[in-house]
Amino acid sequence: MFIDIDCRQEKKYNQNAYGDYFISRRYPAEGRLIAVLSDGLGSGIKANILSCMTAVMLLRFIEDDIKIKEAAEIIMNSLPVCRVRNISYSTFSAIDANEEGLVKIVEEGNPEFVWIRGMDVLKPEYTVIDSVTFKNRHMKVYKIDPKIGDRLIFCSDGITQSGLGGGILKLGLRRDGLIEIIKSKLRDDISVSSYELAKYILTQAKLAEPDRKPKDDMSACVLYFRDPRKALVFTGPPYRQETDGEYAAIFKNFKGKRAICGGTTANILSRELGIPVKTGRLISIDALPACSYMEGVDLVTEGILTLTRVLEYLESGIPDSDNAAAKLANFLLESDVIDFMIGAKLNQAHYDPTLPVEIEIRKNVVKKIAVILEKKYFKKANLQYM
Amino acid sequence: MEGLKKVNVQVCLGTTCFVMGSSNLQELIDTVPKRYGDDVEVSGVPCLGLCSIDWKFSKAPYVKVNDEVIKEATIDKVLKMIERKLAE
Repeated sequence: MFIDIDCRQEKKYNQNAYGDYFISRRYPAEGRLIAVLSDGLGSGIKANILSCMTAVMLLRFIEDDIKIKEAAEIIMNSLPVCRVRNISYSTFSAIDANEEGLVKIVEEGNPEFVWIRGMDVLKPEYTVIDSVTFKNRHMKVYKIDPKIGDRLIFCSDGITQSGLGGGILKLGLRRDGLIEIIKSKLRDDISVSSYELAKYILTQAKLAEPDRKPKDDMSACVLYFRDPRKALVFTGPPYRQETDGEYAAIFKNFKGKRAICGGTTANILSRELGIPVKTGRLISIDALPACSYMEGVDLVTEGILTLTRVLEYLESGIPDSDNAAAKLANFLLESDVIDFMIGAKLNQAHYDPTLPVEIEIRKNVVKKIAVILEKKYFKKANLQYM
Repeated sequence: MEGLKKVNVQVCLGTTCFVMGSSNLQELIDTVPKRYGDDVEVSGVPCLGLCSIDWKFSKAPYVKVNDEVIKEATIDKVLKMIERKLAE
């Protein structure tokens, strides 16, 4: 089971810093995901510091399996005290999930999360832990087991209280309004991504505000439990030519999206699978060879130059361009688990010292891409050499 | 019949050819059809596979006009070859 997580935020209208803080981290080896959403007292910089401290500390405590009750006490005692109100305060929702489908949630002060299966809202059981030092603080602890297709939606009170006291919704959006927003998006698209759903919730909450100005910081965080989207990148000719057919068959039978990177590679697969390669009217876009096309294949690009540029884009951001590397980078980011099949055959012509540009070794570029996909984008990358 | 004789031009867009100058041959795709109409067809191909055979004396970029290979191809060389093929 794959957990698609995203959080979208908006600042209070007259502030220049976010008062809510969201942090998440994946641990691929353990199939674990920890995320924390915190809402700091007030707004602006002060709230930002409170929520940031809370979220980051909580994430570290959960990482180290420190008991949540102790962790919360330490945090509450560590936060700076507000000079105006003479209190220190931040709310939080902490999520500790694994890919087997077990999720622990602790909430303190934030609106209760929404657990939705299909169109039904489920009511999870919870236990309450009271704070020792702070009499009015209570944490709700949940242990739930979401199924494939389920979603968990967390938000700060800026969402549920949007529209409060003005406009059409005198009492604000509240939980019922939030659920209605979620359902309306799901009716449109039951497999909507966490990114899109979080964005939609935020937009609708802003629309509920008079003049569309958020009166409080707003955050919407969505977890979507689903089957992973799989992709295969086939790049480079196999070391032994007699194995071409064998690897082409693996490519053909792969269940998921497929890309080919390399001119010779495309020719080999074209020959083995009997699918012609076609090219468009452009030779080059942004100093990279333009894409080719093969029926049934999602993307066909040149090899090393494109892969080298993909690595650059993954490091520093993908431009809004139609070039082959931007297409391939987006192809990778739209997938959760990416298999790379890397042909070990080298083309000696690439290492001619008179070439005007230095051409990297394919294996090394792909390894770097795999590392950045895992570290920065939380993807799972598998490398297979052939 | 004259009109049936078609010249097929393939520009190699493989890595070596691309960095050695096939990226500058876009003009062929843009101008040749206007000049010769349907008699000449120009297209990019993912790789002609020539640099890996000929790597010690690589003469990329390569362009193929019908079955004839042009080494260190330029627009001029390709146009001359097209004229020759049309005249054959």
